[in-house]
Amino acid sequence: MSEKKNIIHNHTHSDDHAHSQLPSDPELRVKALETLLINKGLIDSRTLDELIDTYENRIGPQNGAKVVAKAWVDKEYKKRLLNDATSAIRELSYEGRQGENMVVVENTPKVHNVVVCTLCSCYPWPVLGLPPTWYKSDEYRSRTVREPRKVLSEFGLSLDPKVQIKVWDSTAELRYLVLPMRPDGTENMDESELAELVTRNSMIGTGLPEALK
Amino acid sequence: MSRLHDMGGRFGDGPIPVPRNNKNEVINFEPTFKHNWQAKAWAITLAAGALGEWNLDISRHYRECLPSKDYINFSYYEKWLAALTNLLIDKNLIYLDELKEYVAAAKKGNLDKFSKQNVMLDDRAWLAEDVQKTLGWGGPSIRDTNVSPIFNIGDKIITQSYGPNENENGGHTRLPKYAMGRVGTVYSYNKNHVFPDKNAHGLGESPLPLYTVEFKSSELWGISSEHENDSIFLDLWEPYLNHYKD
Repeated sequence: MSEKKNIIHNHTHSDDHAHSQLPSDPELRVKALETLLINKGLIDSRTLDELIDTYENRIGPQNGAKVVAKAWVDKEYKKRLLNDATSAIRELSYEGRQGENMVVVENTPKVHNVVVCTLCSCYPWPVLGLPPTWYKSDEYRSRTVREPRKVLSEFGLSLDPKVQIKVWDSTAELRYLVLPMRPDGTENMDESELAELVTRNSMIGTGLPEALK
Repeated sequence: MSRLHDMGGRFGDGPIPVPRNNKNEVINFEPTFKHNWQAKAWAITLAAGALGEWNLDISRHYRECLPSKDYINFSYYEKWLAALTNLLIDKNLIYLDELKEYVAAAKKGNLDKFSKQNVMLDDRAWLAEDVQKTLGWGGPSIRDTNVSPIFNIGDKIITQSYGPNENENGGHTRLPKYAMGRVGTVYSYNKNHVFPDKNAHGLGESPLPLYTVEFKSSELWGISSEHENDSIFLDLWEPYLNHYKD
């Protein structure tokens, strides 16, 4: 009992936390915990496989790219997307975990949007999948709200000083997707060709869609 | 006062680790998980969360409550693993002595000795068959309540100037330090959402109005501001805000 009390109430010394019992090699850490949870019947290994397969192979930025391409070719869809993103994105069957309340912000010649989560790593899973390593880095989390222009320049993006930058810090359960501008010279391309141009970073605001080759 | 996770605006961090190819072009694609253990750490966290013994805000707060030294040294999924372990122990889903036994076996490479045939799945366990359905539902934080918002779009507000959690010292909050005591303008009202400051401490959902508030870069950063036209938008619950009069 006294041991448990320490764990709950003493947040000063790491030695008092249960996690300090874990081995230093993260592979062994996971293996020990996973085996324990499976043996206790608390988790099913098939569920783990299904989850991993889903986010490795089925949910990713290719989903968001389809949303963007559709907004580029269909004015009515774009209106719905900017007005009620959650419903408009659900029209393409993308919905659910970490995308329950979607907001789409539109880039224009005058405004460039960029998304960050300074407190943790909030990210719109149904349309972009799980966040890339740089999105979760201390560097991106600390600097993007204070010096977005320097941060964007490190992604190779230099913006005209006249363009207003809007930084969206995802501090609640709203999840943001940037609608980038449609590249010039794409008038004859259809929706699926356009979707190929939409990069993941362009939907976070740290990149642009691919220009025509 | 704040914790290490609350790092927005902090000085001292270097270049963004942007992946590039050998032509120095930014790479947009990277594997969802670089190592198998990361995939497992992520998946067991989701699966353990599905047991229903804690909510999203509690698990976030556990990550924030890791000792500063560990928060800095641990990689992303190491933080997840550590917080998950502490949660599992605190909620009595696993016990310290059995954890120690499994860890000892893992170090010796003989975890197999615990392997069991026909484990009975706990009633609360997340079944593989239900994964797609449950992911599709997600866990919406929006609640239908009759609480009316007291702020209107366009109102000038000033945020609380100190950690606003009323229930616990150093408790969970979603008002970052860099936006405390600052003047902004209400940009939108996003209906009523579960209030993390209470929900993270098991004090109920208490859904409250959630606003998006616009802050001018110069208001947040003064002379460090990069450009006077730029703005930062945050999603903030009503108790974080007060009316502001010039």
